[in-house]
Amino acid sequence: MQRWTSQALALSRNNWKRADLEFEGVEHDGASFVMHVFLNNPDADDTTPHTAEQRYAGYLTVFAHGDCWGDVGHCDIPEPVSAFDRRPPHSLIPFDATLEITEAISALPEDTSEFTVTVLAFNKHDDETGVLRFKELTLLTYE
Amino acid sequence: MPITASPAANAAPARLKVRKNINALNAQELTNLRRAIKESIGLKDKRSYEYFASWHGVPLGWCQHHNPLFLPWHRAYLYWLELALQSQVPGVTLPWWDTSTAAAIPGPYSVAQADGGDNILAKAPINVFGAAHQSGWPTETSRSPGEVRQSPTPPFAQEWANAMKADNFTDFSRLIWTLHDNVHVWVGGTMGQLDWAAFDPLFFAHHTNIDRAWRIWQSAHPGGTPPADILDQSMQTDPAMTVRAVLDVTRLGYEYAGTQSTVPGSA
Repeated sequence: MQRWTSQALALSRNNWKRADLEFEGVEHDGASFVMHVFLNNPDADDTTPHTAEQRYAGYLTVFAHGDCWGDVGHCDIPEPVSAFDRRPPHSLIPFDATLEITEAISALPEDTSEFTVTVLAFNKHDDETGVLRFKELTLLTYE
Repeated sequence: MPITASPAANAAPARLKVRKNINALNAQELTNLRRAIKESIGLKDKRSYEYFASWHGVPLGWCQHHNPLFLPWHRAYLYWLELALQSQVPGVTLPWWDTSTAAAIPGPYSVAQADGGDNILAKAPINVFGAAHQSGWPTETSRSPGEVRQSPTPPFAQEWANAMKADNFTDFSRLIWTLHDNVHVWVGGTMGQLDWAAFDPLFFAHHTNIDRAWRIWQSAHPGGTPPADILDQSMQTDPAMTVRAVLDVTRLGYEYAGTQSTVPGSA
């Protein structure tokens, strides 16, 4: 299991009705995995119950490609070779994964002005690193 | 009452094929499904099951995931495969595995023996179309339910319900792929690896259910089309199809039914 905890994200209590966590640029070139998300619970581990008391926010699963089966360079994402390159995008281009956390974030204490996100990520190899790889995490709220 | 539609402006109305819940297939329909796949697997040309399996990952990699083409591309995929199977056994259709209610892999896909031999729905050979076998490549499909610790387990009723609440295509697509990814990750083995998954016949029962979900959602949201900028996008299948061409399943000649009961007429 890989555990990752974010830096603090600022939380405004303005009139939003929905809150999403966006994991941007998620890599999916390895083993498929599941990620369980906790708010303000950096000590969460694989024995932590998935409950509101533990500030559990939900999960995402990622159906990933598995090990590279091609020749050298097969899994490298190429740049267009020209302005006329209309080949479809490479299948390993990272994607953005969204987790709605409205309920979990609403359950944080009223005076919470920032919070951390802890992710426990599991794959079939039970790797401790490299399971979840992504570019950045964003909190988006919608009025 | 049979469901009919006009497949083309210059053609007579035609009866649609009906896709059914795997648990609703009778013994003959199951035999036909297994025979269609077995006979297709035996072919060495582009009519073969393995040619179609090869579209998804190894070696062609045409599939679309985690983007707005996810649902349209897989609808086209099922359409072309189903036609190929019907060329082997007329009338056969792809059944769905309702993972919003089922807690396990359905019996027809898990019993080891059927029709007096190995059950092709439970385990299938992997022969990559047009490529010599490479060291490390699997030679037959496998499953390993729950191989990923703490992976969500079926049934995925809540995930289905969440998707059905979406009020636009983009949200629906994103929410239904949660259920989709859950199933792949939970089944594990071949199904858990995107590049190999389609070699397992269970893949198509799973994706037929996802396509059915889209169809049900579309019925409730007639204006819920994919983003305008992809409607005329050509999707990589053989032959290629646009997104617009797959929006209406009745134009593709099939429909989903919960039940079907047919009796002989008077002729």
